[in-house]
Amino acid sequence: MAQSKELYEAILNGDAKKAHAVTQAAIEAGTEPMTLISEFMVPAMDEVGRLFEEEEYFVPELLLAGRAMKSAMELLRPLMTASGEKLSARVVIGTVKGDLHDIGKNIVASMLEGSGFEVIDLGADVSAEAFVAAVEERKPQFVCMSALLTVTMPAMKTTIDALTNAGLRNRVKVLVGGAPVTLRYAKEIGADGYSENASGAVGLVRNLLAEA
Amino acid sequence: MRFKVICCQVLTWEMNHVLSRSPHSIVTEILPMGLHDLGASMRPHLQERIDAADEEGYDAILLGYALCGRGTEGLRAGKTQLVLPRAHDCIGLLMGSRLRYQDYFDTHPGVYFRSPGWIDFQIQGQTLEPANSAAYYTIGERQTREELIAQYGEDNGNYLFEQFNAFRRRYSGLTYISTGVASEDNFRSLARAEAEKEGWIFEEIEGSLTLLERLVNGEWDAADFLVVPPGATVQGSLGESIVEVI
Repeated sequence: MAQSKELYEAILNGDAKKAHAVTQAAIEAGTEPMTLISEFMVPAMDEVGRLFEEEEYFVPELLLAGRAMKSAMELLRPLMTASGEKLSARVVIGTVKGDLHDIGKNIVASMLEGSGFEVIDLGADVSAEAFVAAVEERKPQFVCMSALLTVTMPAMKTTIDALTNAGLRNRVKVLVGGAPVTLRYAKEIGADGYSENASGAVGLVRNLLAEA
Repeated sequence: MRFKVICCQVLTWEMNHVLSRSPHSIVTEILPMGLHDLGASMRPHLQERIDAADEEGYDAILLGYALCGRGTEGLRAGKTQLVLPRAHDCIGLLMGSRLRYQDYFDTHPGVYFRSPGWIDFQIQGQTLEPANSAAYYTIGERQTREELIAQYGEDNGNYLFEQFNAFRRRYSGLTYISTGVASEDNFRSLARAEAEKEGWIFEEIEGSLTLLERLVNGEWDAADFLVVPPGATVQGSLGESIVEVI
């Protein structure tokens, strides 16, 4: 387990190669994937979130921690699929139609993934139909949408309306974010939650799961 | 009438053009284009300039801004009414209509916009430091590959550079908005060169100065302008109106 503590450090330091190597060693030593996730990866990403809130970490550090976390997850995912282990919730995420900006969305996706959720990333410029199809096929508990431009923000409403029309709205919690998005707008379009930043998004998902 | 114009640098040349033809007496203040990068945090910078102008007894303070990523949301009129064109951003302002912009945007996904101001004040490498730059410049999006490698090491530096610039690869076009200002051939050719360098389709469309003209001429019809009475506040609205008063 001493090695696994190194996984925590590697994620915190954004060292993807080390995170990969340490995870490989831990697996070979017989550590369970869920143990690595819940005892080291989730606490590491929590700490990353805390450092971000305190303005000790900035966007580059978030991206690098996410990268390190992913390099560990790559090794764990096939093992978990094979053993049928499931993560606590499934999240479909994407930047809305017309908007090609995805740095913020990528950070939220990696923070969520590193916090122990299954993340299905639909990418950028995702149409309402594609969100609906993903909800139908993948049956997530959460849909997260991002927009960077006020011109594309209305696509969030279009997507929520499409989920409603497809009869899927009450099956998922819809969360929105992105630089110009506000809590007021989130309420206006009938979203279930809004977060100003990536670590807030993790808290939001956790709180909504606790309420469910 | 006596007006004060507070205007983003990106509109400098177009604003000069319409001001020279306005029948009113107008004092102009140009604020750095770098404020754009602050998003919603642009507001306190604008508010400070509005408050300063408020003491000078103008008939109106005219904003050469749009909703600008909510950078104008929350602006409050003091004793002097504020006037703001209804547009999402400077591209909508220079197209002369938010509806024309929305149509163009919907039918041309993945297009970068350039205008004389975007070329003149951004591409030529002038450093535009917003008053409170710390929040933005720590993000690293403006750093070169070399700078990121120096700071984060070879592997992580390259990764960050790719992450910050990946979105550029998803763009497929660059649209230059011609506004008829002086030296435009130079701006146009720089825009074209940028498109060629990135492998983007270059398109030129004719802009329109109608919103800026009507702003400085005092023709503020409610369909295209928000007049914020003394004591009221600007609020963003993502319906057709774009901005409202509360």
